[in-house]
Amino acid sequence: MNSPKGKTIWITGGAGYLGTPTTIALDQCCAKVLCIDLPGKAAALIKEANLQRTVPIELDVNDPATLPAAVADLIAEHGAPDGLAHLTVASSVGHTLEDLPAEAFQATLDRSLVPTFVLCRELAKSMQATSGGSIVLFSSMYGLVPPDKHAYQEEMKPNPIDYGVSKAGMIQLARYLAMHYGPDGIRFNCIAPGPFPNPKAQAANPDFVKTLNQKTMLRRIGRNEEMLGPVLFLLSEQASYITGQTLSVDGGWTAW
Amino acid sequence: MTNPFSLKGKVIVQCGGTGLLGRELVNGLGQAGATLVVGTRDPTKFGPDLERAREAGVEVQVEKLIVSDEASVNAFRDAVLAKNGRVDGLVYNTVSRPMKGERPHADEWRDSMETNATGLYLTLNAFTEVMAKQPTGGSIVNISSMMGMVGPNMANYEGTGISLTPCPDYFFHKAGMINVSRYYASVYGTKGVRCNVVSPGGIFNPDSPQPDAFLEKYNKRTMTGRMANSDEMNGAVIFLLSDASSYVTGVNIPVDGGFTAK
Repeated sequence: MNSPKGKTIWITGGAGYLGTPTTIALDQCCAKVLCIDLPGKAAALIKEANLQRTVPIELDVNDPATLPAAVADLIAEHGAPDGLAHLTVASSVGHTLEDLPAEAFQATLDRSLVPTFVLCRELAKSMQATSGGSIVLFSSMYGLVPPDKHAYQEEMKPNPIDYGVSKAGMIQLARYLAMHYGPDGIRFNCIAPGPFPNPKAQAANPDFVKTLNQKTMLRRIGRNEEMLGPVLFLLSEQASYITGQTLSVDGGWTAW
Repeated sequence: MTNPFSLKGKVIVQCGGTGLLGRELVNGLGQAGATLVVGTRDPTKFGPDLERAREAGVEVQVEKLIVSDEASVNAFRDAVLAKNGRVDGLVYNTVSRPMKGERPHADEWRDSMETNATGLYLTLNAFTEVMAKQPTGGSIVNISSMMGMVGPNMANYEGTGISLTPCPDYFFHKAGMINVSRYYASVYGTKGVRCNVVSPGGIFNPDSPQPDAFLEKYNKRTMTGRMANSDEMNGAVIFLLSDASSYVTGVNIPVDGGFTAK
């Protein structure tokens, strides 16, 4: 119904915590799914979840230099996709804002915004030749609002500025590309997830999770299976008149 | 995996069902499996559409509803509960457009607010209280408009043969609807009630097509190069009513071909 039934969908970061339930749901409705992730991760997920229509792809989608050739190879082998869900992230780790090296900030942008642009342009080129498509980029609540300094305990470092800036950039990439490729029937939208800490992060910082809960209208963090509905919807024909938009999936974090 | 977008087993109340958009919603929500109750000012006007829906295999209950009349709203709520026992979703699609002409009157403005502001308030109050008491909560979808987000682009109308200036009440109550939805999302968030908005762009009316001169201008102001079809709001409404959007609350989804994204 609202799913991209019978289509070929690529999902980057599809074997990570946030992407896994979406990849499994795509496997059940799509003709083919390319799960693009770090070496070994996609293959392990396919085996564990017994996925039937998903192909594991080991590719560093954060490297703009090698992307065009790699995308061309994938299209030659698997055909042009009808849609892309792009979950891969890049971020500095372990610095305070005061000691964040300029090179680390630069590296995040080089490994997020630049390759996302290149990937979108390469896929749009192939979608122009078919009958259009739908691309879903991943922003974040931290692409819309800054992390709350007061929410972090002393030993924790707030979500880094380079991450938030790159996620804000995703929103404008989606708008710009939506305008540019609109006449070709290619839609671009963004999803801005709220707090979805993975189980390891939840276990390591239980008090922080309590703080996150209180910062949403629903008073709870998100569960990873709650991301599959928004992704499937925006990839599907049911969203045929939605483009250039950012959908917050954040329990109301940014609505108050 | 069960279909997360299915409305099967859910009691959905739709306010306003006889307009261009409302008729399509009736079919769309029905086909998504909803047990559908439509509240409308004049149920007799709903005749042909009801037949059409039934032919498509959609069973619809129709009740009289005057949203500006508190007694009518409460009677409607009670009738829905008497027949179905609960309410899982509410789609507020009622609108009245009493303002006309170049220099609309204050009386018309007051009349507009009776339905579009007070009616919204009475309906939301009645049904959020029902949903808040249910262990499974509920989901509210208010139908606003891109005209609740941006001002009218007057260049769209100049020289097109559309003589009426867009009236200001619409821009006021549709914008208010977006923020009052955040209010209900927040106040009822802990009770399992979600509240979101769908903001349609311009919808092509095949029964009474917009003038070509208007379409030519308007289409260029979208990213898709065309107006919406009247059934293209269904997907977003179904998504927001269904369990597929369980972590989505307080949002506004413009379904406008990118009109407000540029």
